[in-house]
Amino acid sequence: MNPIAPIFYTEEYKDATDYFRGIVKSGETSSRVLELTEHIIRMNPAHYSAWQYRYKTLLALHSPLDEELRLMDALAIQFLKTYQVWHHRRLLLTALNSVPAAEAELAFIRRAVAVDTKNYYTPGRTDKELLEADVRNNSAWHHRFFVVFQSGVRKGDEDRELVLRRELAFTKEKIALAPNNPSAWNYLRGILEYTKTPFSTITTFVEPYASTSRSSTAEQEIVIDLENPYLRKEGGASTMKAVEIWRSLANVHDTVRKKYWEHRIKDALSSIQK
Amino acid sequence: MSTKIPLSSLGRSGHSSHCRMCLLGLPFSQVEVDSSRIAVVFYCLGTLDLLGVVESKTSEIERETWRAWLWEQQTSSKYGTGFQPSPYMTTSAASTDHTEYDVPHLIMTYTAILSLAILRDDFKQLDRSGIVRFLQACQQEDGSFSALPNGGESDLRMMYCAFVISSMLNDWSGVDIDRAVAYIQRCSSYEGGYGQTPFGEALGMSALMFRNFIHYQSLGGTTYCAIASLHLVPDTPSSPISERISPIQRARTIRWLAQNQTSSGGFCGRTAKDADACYCFWCGASLSILGEGGLVDEDALAAFLLRCQFKFGGIAKAPGERPDPYHTYLSLAVLATLPPHTDDTSWKLPCLDTLWNATQDTTNWIKSHISDHNDLGSE
Repeated sequence: MNPIAPIFYTEEYKDATDYFRGIVKSGETSSRVLELTEHIIRMNPAHYSAWQYRYKTLLALHSPLDEELRLMDALAIQFLKTYQVWHHRRLLLTALNSVPAAEAELAFIRRAVAVDTKNYYTPGRTDKELLEADVRNNSAWHHRFFVVFQSGVRKGDEDRELVLRRELAFTKEKIALAPNNPSAWNYLRGILEYTKTPFSTITTFVEPYASTSRSSTAEQEIVIDLENPYLRKEGGASTMKAVEIWRSLANVHDTVRKKYWEHRIKDALSSIQK
Repeated sequence: MSTKIPLSSLGRSGHSSHCRMCLLGLPFSQVEVDSSRIAVVFYCLGTLDLLGVVESKTSEIERETWRAWLWEQQTSSKYGTGFQPSPYMTTSAASTDHTEYDVPHLIMTYTAILSLAILRDDFKQLDRSGIVRFLQACQQEDGSFSALPNGGESDLRMMYCAFVISSMLNDWSGVDIDRAVAYIQRCSSYEGGYGQTPFGEALGMSALMFRNFIHYQSLGGTTYCAIASLHLVPDTPSSPISERISPIQRARTIRWLAQNQTSSGGFCGRTAKDADACYCFWCGASLSILGEGGLVDEDALAAFLLRCQFKFGGIAKAPGERPDPYHTYLSLAVLATLPPHTDDTSWKLPCLDTLWNATQDTTNWIKSHISDHNDLGSE
């Protein structure tokens, strides 16, 4: 049979996987299975059957799962982008179900995140740049949204107002630090929408960023959210002001999205006429 | 615009050669695709299909042996029937006793059917009712689907595959639609896109946060998976199509998708990241499904993908990177969906069905050989 897209295996991989298939067939669970699966995983971290069988063997042998996690730390850093590495961790943490393990995991994630963003941490960068690299971390913004609004941890209705004010202050501060960071603007939008707070309440904050005379392409992202203060305000005058900004985006500052801004202009104008 | 430089030609023959080479064999450095080989096969064959060279670049004998090889990967067990990625866990060809480790895989089942259709198989060997049982076995309590009936990752990519397969079979009895749709809706994020999974328990969060960093090699673009899925499912009394995406959510999604087209012309997959050829498809096709493909700057997009072309053939994720069949296929797929304005015929590609992610001809083949036969043997 002529296979499609055959992989030209090395002898080492072929031997190890032949052996592995034999073990799976016999149902053996022993410490040499742990050695063998680790060997295969190091050659091919996406070998999901090896991961599955390894997990089954760990449970069957009552192996200490926290030790397995520490072994996985090294593998996770090496194979940061392989799904199975993280899936396995998740299974281990669920099985361990302990506070110290969860704490160790958070510490590990901080280290791993630093590895993932290592490109930012090059010598010669200023502290401000490091901070900006951090505020641009979109996953961190998502994580914050979950912790603040979706995790179910809150003290009661009294808190809602306080939480919103705190989040607005936090986000505005980060925007001031790096105004052309769309992650922060999206978060601002997200908290306003989630708390059903009208966009018009932040007009005074946003307006200074709404200059239509900006020309630097690096700053074009800033202006993208400038429809915010005007869009939901009552009356035609504010809509016309938003339209004016969108026109400058479409024609000068953000021409890649010309058609998107024209679509927004059309929508806004037709809603006035209604 | 007046300042635009005219596009040079699309390197069609280099792209088809790149994919043909991969069909003939992959170096050991690609060993990670051992457990997802059929997906690679689909990206290669899909590229040839989009370029209209399946018949000229492969021989009848090759196509016949490839079809036979693909059918060898169809496997039946107590979990129903589907395709495994390759024989990488099969002990012997004649073996009929299955372990828990050579079960079918959802993404492989979807890409195997597409591959067989590109090879114009008659699908007489397709075990329709077995596949329906396999889908049932993969759906979880929370409505999501796992890659394998006995485990594996469970996220919107799997949901999408289960939906396309049901749509191809024209048989949705393997899916609890209402629970599945509710799951997709829980994945929507405040930004307007969709996450891999909804925010679940606190423990899952640590893993989840991480998964945001992961660039999926096989089938990224969860927003595409969500949008396409919501358009694939038929109406149900409790979930009519018209109510699955609220007008506010729709506007938010369109805004986020449009925001992802960067000044390079390409799309990024997450806010404020660099453009990547595969996200040009995932974002561009999503906009197209939402009826807003017109918002994309097609000429800037094509110019970006031109820069991702590798000089010896194939398209890479970004300029200067190594090409692979995944990025090659998805680049061509978005160019077929949102073609640039040019008279150069090298850019002419066939119509793409953006929901199934296959050429219209291949989709029609599936419809006439699978979908229209749902009364045969599915009971």
